Amino acid sequence: MLSLRVPTPTSFRRLHAGRSRLSRDCLFSYSPSFVNRGVRLRVRSTKSEVVFTPTEEEEEVTLPEELQPELMPKHVAIIMDGNGRWAKNQGLQPWDGHRAGVEALKEIVELSGRWGIQVLTVFAFSTDNWIRPRIEIDFLFSLFERSLKSEFQNLAQNNVRISIIGDSSKLPKSLLRLINEGEEGTKNNKRLQLIVAVGYSGKYDVLQACRGIAQRVKDGEIDVDEIDEGLIEQELETNCTEFPYPDLLIRTSGELRVSNFLLWQLAYTELFFAQELWPDFGRSGYIEALMSFQQRQRRFGGRKS
Amino acid sequence: MDLNQSMRLLSSWIAQIGGLGLDLLWRFIHLVVSLWYIVSGIIEAVESYAISLGLNKKYSSINIEKLRCLAVVVDIEEARDVSKVIELLQWLRTIGVKQVGLFDSQGLLKKSKDMILGTVPGSVLSEEIGEKNSSPDQNPLALEFISSSDNKEAVMKAANILLQDYLKSSRPENDKGENFFTETHLNEALRVVGENVHAPDLLLVYGPIRSHLGFPAWRLRYTEIVHMGSLNYMRYGSLLKAIHKFTGVHQNYGT
Repeated sequence: MLSLRVPTPTSFRRLHAGRSRLSRDCLFSYSPSFVNRGVRLRVRSTKSEVVFTPTEEEEEVTLPEELQPELMPKHVAIIMDGNGRWAKNQGLQPWDGHRAGVEALKEIVELSGRWGIQVLTVFAFSTDNWIRPRIEIDFLFSLFERSLKSEFQNLAQNNVRISIIGDSSKLPKSLLRLINEGEEGTKNNKRLQLIVAVGYSGKYDVLQACRGIAQRVKDGEIDVDEIDEGLIEQELETNCTEFPYPDLLIRTSGELRVSNFLLWQLAYTELFFAQELWPDFGRSGYIEALMSFQQRQRRFGGRKS
Repeated sequence: MDLNQSMRLLSSWIAQIGGLGLDLLWRFIHLVVSLWYIVSGIIEAVESYAISLGLNKKYSSINIEKLRCLAVVVDIEEARDVSKVIELLQWLRTIGVKQVGLFDSQGLLKKSKDMILGTVPGSVLSEEIGEKNSSPDQNPLALEFISSSDNKEAVMKAANILLQDYLKSSRPENDKGENFFTETHLNEALRVVGENVHAPDLLLVYGPIRSHLGFPAWRLRYTEIVHMGSLNYMRYGSLLKAIHKFTGVHQNYGT
């Protein structure tokens, strides 16, 4: 088969769409760096994805050709915003928006696993959301239960580990039981860790860490003088993963804020604000966010990394 | 020359011509896209100058009261040029901003605070704003200087204060401190350690960065975050546009 070695650009159609979709004053207007990246093209191939041959222990990682494997983030966090507005725009009820949001999440979980992302943290329900109408909250929790039940097998088969963080004290007992089963049943899975934040807020996390430390001091495990940043970090709920600090935070629906999510952990996280509402985000939006992440100059304070 | 050899020669020519054609196409597309970025950059600059000169009436009236507190994050490389920061503060004062927090991770701006306060007319330290005759100016610009030590370090110190108080207080064995470690208590402890807890409504990020670079997380709950590009190329029009855009934002706080 004839095989040509040619420099290939990233998808220009999407690149321009991305430029116009993202607000110019938004944190990340697009500024691509055009790099002549050679990709081997097979003339008869219709696939737009590059397949990397896995090592013995790795599973197959299939990356879109716009993305570079060595620059992929290890931990991606997402604020899934805009389900309600999406439903309103479509002339539907809020719960239809939440259903569509679950479908969008399934796709992103699948893509994250396939593209070699290690941890995906999603903000499903904030402590601030408790002020919503009771009927909507009840629907959200029943949807969460149904989704966990129906997807449990799928997650296990795809080697996805599920972890839930947040204040569980107000959650329905049936949901708590299901969460425990899900966490227990997937705890040895290695491909992707899906962390779902329910009843979570950044401030709650710091406060529960303080409570945890207080208990350890009380129990004589540690001394008051030993309390430092590291100890607080150990007690944060995101410590359930090997990579507690997100490399990339995506917020959909064009809002430019972090809304009390992972406050402590986001100090050096790259922020990407997408215009699309969460149910519309999908594969192309995810590629755009990851491309933007890869094209940015990554710096930690004064130290260039 | 046999048929096989001529076919091989022909296919290598086709491959070379194809490669050359693709290379030319790539260069042409590269040129078009580069021109697109140059043109869009020029349009943005022209728009910015039009706003600065007051030609764009849309930006002439800003509901500045909505912006109670503004924070500016400056990349460490750019924080060294204090003159640019001073110019930015003068613009903010012209616009009518009353409270500004200045942040860089290493506290370079904090070290230059005397120079900044001495150069920016009508500027005072925010902690002095309540004091009598702190500023002869009727509309002072209250400045707060923030660095990384006001972030996790401050939360850690505040947590320590809470822990000491919790351990000193006589509490039943089964008390896990739910009513003790609350947001209100932690805010109070942060005040004790000198962390003023002014939550900015708008955070402007200057420099080649795409994060808030360790700005105190505790304050960022509902802050709008806007990346402004390099401080060296800052424009009054862009600043006005960002603030105007913020004043039109509706926050629903989780509802």
